[in-house]
Amino acid sequence: MSVSAIRRLILTGLLIAIGIALSIANPTFLKLDNLMTMLQEASLTGIVAIGFTLILITAGIDMSIGAVIAITSMICVNFISYTQLPAYIYIPVALAAGCAIGWVNGFFITHFKLPEFIVTLATRGILAGLALIIAVKDEQGFVKNVFIEDPVFLSFGETVGPVYIVTIVFILLAIATQFFMKRTRAGTNIYASGANPTAARLSGINVDRTLIGVYMFSGFCAALSSIFLAARMMTAMPEFGIGNELDVIASVVIGGTPFTGGIGDIWGTIIGTLFIALIKNGILKLGLSPYIQPIVIGGIIIVTVVADVWYKHHAEKKATQAARRKAMESKEVGA
Amino acid sequence: MSNNVKSDLLLECRGIDKNYNGPQVLSKVDFSLRRGEIHALVGENGAGKSTLIKIVTGITNRNAGTIVFDGHDVPVEHNKNASEKLGIAVIYQELSLIHGMTVAQNIFLTKEPLMPGLPFIDIKKMNAMAQEMIEKYGFDLKATDIIDRLPIAQRQTVEILKALSNKASLMIMDEPTSSLTAKESERLFKIIRMLKAEGITVVYISHRMEEVYDLSDRVTVLRDGKLVSVLEGEEITPAEIIRLMIGRELTEDESHHKMVDKRDREVVLEVKNLSAEGKLNNVSFKLHKGEVLGFGGLVGSGRTELMRAIYGIDAFDAGEITYLGKSYSPTVEKSIASGFGFVPEERRLQGIMGGISITGNIGIANLDSISSPAGFVSRDKELERTQTAISTLNIKPANPDHLVGNLSGGNQQKVVVGKWLIRDLKLLIVDEPTVGVDIGAKEEMYQTIDRLSREGVAVMVVSSDLPELTRLSDRIIVLRKGRIIKEFTEGVVTEEEVLRAASGIVEGGAK
Repeated sequence: MSVSAIRRLILTGLLIAIGIALSIANPTFLKLDNLMTMLQEASLTGIVAIGFTLILITAGIDMSIGAVIAITSMICVNFISYTQLPAYIYIPVALAAGCAIGWVNGFFITHFKLPEFIVTLATRGILAGLALIIAVKDEQGFVKNVFIEDPVFLSFGETVGPVYIVTIVFILLAIATQFFMKRTRAGTNIYASGANPTAARLSGINVDRTLIGVYMFSGFCAALSSIFLAARMMTAMPEFGIGNELDVIASVVIGGTPFTGGIGDIWGTIIGTLFIALIKNGILKLGLSPYIQPIVIGGIIIVTVVADVWYKHHAEKKATQAARRKAMESKEVGA
Repeated sequence: MSNNVKSDLLLECRGIDKNYNGPQVLSKVDFSLRRGEIHALVGENGAGKSTLIKIVTGITNRNAGTIVFDGHDVPVEHNKNASEKLGIAVIYQELSLIHGMTVAQNIFLTKEPLMPGLPFIDIKKMNAMAQEMIEKYGFDLKATDIIDRLPIAQRQTVEILKALSNKASLMIMDEPTSSLTAKESERLFKIIRMLKAEGITVVYISHRMEEVYDLSDRVTVLRDGKLVSVLEGEEITPAEIIRLMIGRELTEDESHHKMVDKRDREVVLEVKNLSAEGKLNNVSFKLHKGEVLGFGGLVGSGRTELMRAIYGIDAFDAGEITYLGKSYSPTVEKSIASGFGFVPEERRLQGIMGGISITGNIGIANLDSISSPAGFVSRDKELERTQTAISTLNIKPANPDHLVGNLSGGNQQKVVVGKWLIRDLKLLIVDEPTVGVDIGAKEEMYQTIDRLSREGVAVMVVSSDLPELTRLSDRIIVLRKGRIIKEFTEGVVTEEEVLRAASGIVEGGAK
C-alpha cells in the first residue's frame, strides 16, 4: 500500500473515532443540523483549499487567498449598494476579479522570478487595505454593515434537501479538479512543473504559463468561497477571510500535500478539510473556548509535518542503504 | 572498424567558434558524425566538450561556424526545442525525469495518448505503449513503476526510452557510467550497441578510457578548445587517446616534477582501513610533517569523500584515524581545535559567505581566538588577523570590508585559505585548490602551499588538474572506486601515468 493510502486510512480512522467520541460527549453533535452546518463550514474552507492544493503541487504558496475573499465580498457589496445590476452580472465580475488577482500574482512570480511568498504576501497587504477603502461607509465614514437582500445572491446560502448548496459545489469542484489533475495533459504539466521545473522545461512544458494558470485558479476558488460566505452571513465585511489561511493550509497539509511540490491530490485535501472542520466543531461542542481553535490547529500542523519529515527521512535512509549494499555487491563482482 | 558505412553524415559542424564574453572556449572546431556510429568525444576538463554539446543541442549559441544536421542547415539561433524536433536527444543522469510520476508518464510527458475525441489522457493505452517499448528493448522495468523508487541505472533507461519515443536519431550521453556499477555499465553498453543496430547515432562522452576503447567506432579528441584529432578503427587505443588528450610535448620541469620522499619524518596523520559504505573501501595511508600528499583519481573515485571523512563532516563505518600519535575520531569542531584547515571543493557553496566582508569570513573560523571568555567578539583582534591574512596572501583589493562575493575567484579562494593560515595550522586539506582561478592567482596558491609545507604543515591536495597535482605533490595516491589503486612515491611521475592509473589501465594494456 502506498504512503498516501496509509495516511488516508489513518486520517479516516481518526475522523470516525473523534466523531464517535464527540457524539458520546455531546449527543447534539450527531443531529443532522449540526452535521450539515459542519459540512457547510468545511466546504467554505474546502473550496479555497482545492486551489491551494494546486499551488502547493507547483511548490509555490499563495498568502493572498484570505484577502481575495475580503476584496471579492466588498466588490459584491458595492454592486449591491450602488447599482441595480442583477446578481448574474456582478457575481461573474467578482469571480473574474479573483482570477485577475491570481494572474497578477503569477505574472510577478514568473516574469520577474520573485519568491511566491513575497509576491502573495504583498498582494495580501494591498488587497486587505483596498477592501477597507472600497467598503461601503456611513456618513461618519465608518464601515457600514450592508444587509444583502438580493434573493438571487442569497439563494447561494440555501440548501437542497438538507444539504447546503456550497457543499454540493465543493464536492463537484473537487471531483472535477481531481479528474483534471490526473487525466489531462494540463494537469500532468502542473505536477511536472512542481516536481522539477528544469526537467519540465526540457520536456517542452511552458512552466510559466502553467504557474500563472494555477495562481488564477487559486484566486478563482477564493472568490467563489467568498460569494458563498457572504450569502450565508447575508452581509459582507472587509475582514472576511483575513486569517483564514491557517485553516486552509492546515487542511491541505494534513491531507498529505507537502510543500516540496510535485505530490498531492484533492482526495487528501477533502479529508484534511473534514478533519479541521470536525476539530473546530468538536471544540465548540465540548463547550471549550473558540479561542483555542487556532492553537489546536497550529499544533496539528506541527505534529503532521514532524511525522512526515520523520517518515521521509526514515524511508530515504532505508532506500539509500539498500542501494549502496547492492552497488557494493556488484562492484565486488566487477572488480 | 566500419569503414563501409554510407558516407553521408548525420551531423557536420565546421569551424565552430565560441567565447563567453572573454576567453575563447572553442576555436574553429570541426565535428562530424556518421549515421549509426558510436562516436566518443574526449578531452581533459575544460577542453570544450560540454560547450560543443551545448551548441549542438541549442542550449547555447555559437559565435561562428556552420552546422548541418541531416541535410538541413541549423541556424545560429538554435534552441533546445528546435534541436529536439530535429531528433537530437541528450541523456542526462536524471535531470529530466519527473519524480513522483510513473515510467510511462515520464516517457510520454506532453505527448500522452488521448481518448478519441476527448482531451483526457488514456492511461491504459499509455501504459500499454510504454510496456511495449520496454519489452522491445528488454529493459528491466515496468511501465507503472514510480521513478523515485528506481535505481539510477534504470532511470537512465527511462531517459533512453523517452528519447526513442521522440524519434531521436542522435543521442548524446554525457558521462553516462559515472554513477553506475560495473554490471550496470555492461548493460548500458549493450543498450548502446542495440541503438546503433537500429541506426541511431550515439555520442559518448567519458573519462573512462577502457569504455571509449571498447565501444567507439570513432573518437574525436579536443584540447584547449581545439580539435586535435579524429581516431578511427585500429588507431583507437587507450594510450594514444591519453597522449592526444594531454597533447603538448611536455617540457622537463613542467610535467616531470620530482617527488620528494619525506616519509622518514614525523607522522602527522595515519589512516588505517577506512571504509564507508558505497564510498570508501579499506583506505590506509600515512601523512608526514611538511609533506604534500596529492590525491588523484576520476570524479566519483572517493577523493572528496575521504577528505570529508577525515575532517569529520561525514561519518565512516570502519577504520581508524591516528592524529599526532593519538587515536582520533573526527568532528568538525575537534578538527578545527586541533589545527586542521579545510578548503572545500565547491567554493561558492561550502567555502565562502558571499554577502559578508573579508573580515567576517576570516573571523568566523577563528571566533575561539578572537572573542573574550564571555563570548563577545573583539573587532580589533578580528581586523588584525584579517590584515595578516590579506598581506600574507596578497588578497586584492586589500580592503577588509570588501564583500567576498565581489572578489575574483582567485581572491575568494585566498580568503578561504586565509581563514586557516592565521591559526596554528598543522594539517591542511585542499580540495580542488584552483578551480575557477586565473593563472596568476594559481601560481600564488601553489607558492602558498609550498611555503606552508616548508613551515612543517602537512598538506593533502585533491586535484583533477593533472599538471597541478604533479607540480604540487611530494607523493601521489591514486584512488579508483573508493580504493587506493596506485601510489607514486619517488622519482618523476608524468600526467600520463596518473591518468592511466585513474582510468584503471594497469601497466599498459586495457583492463
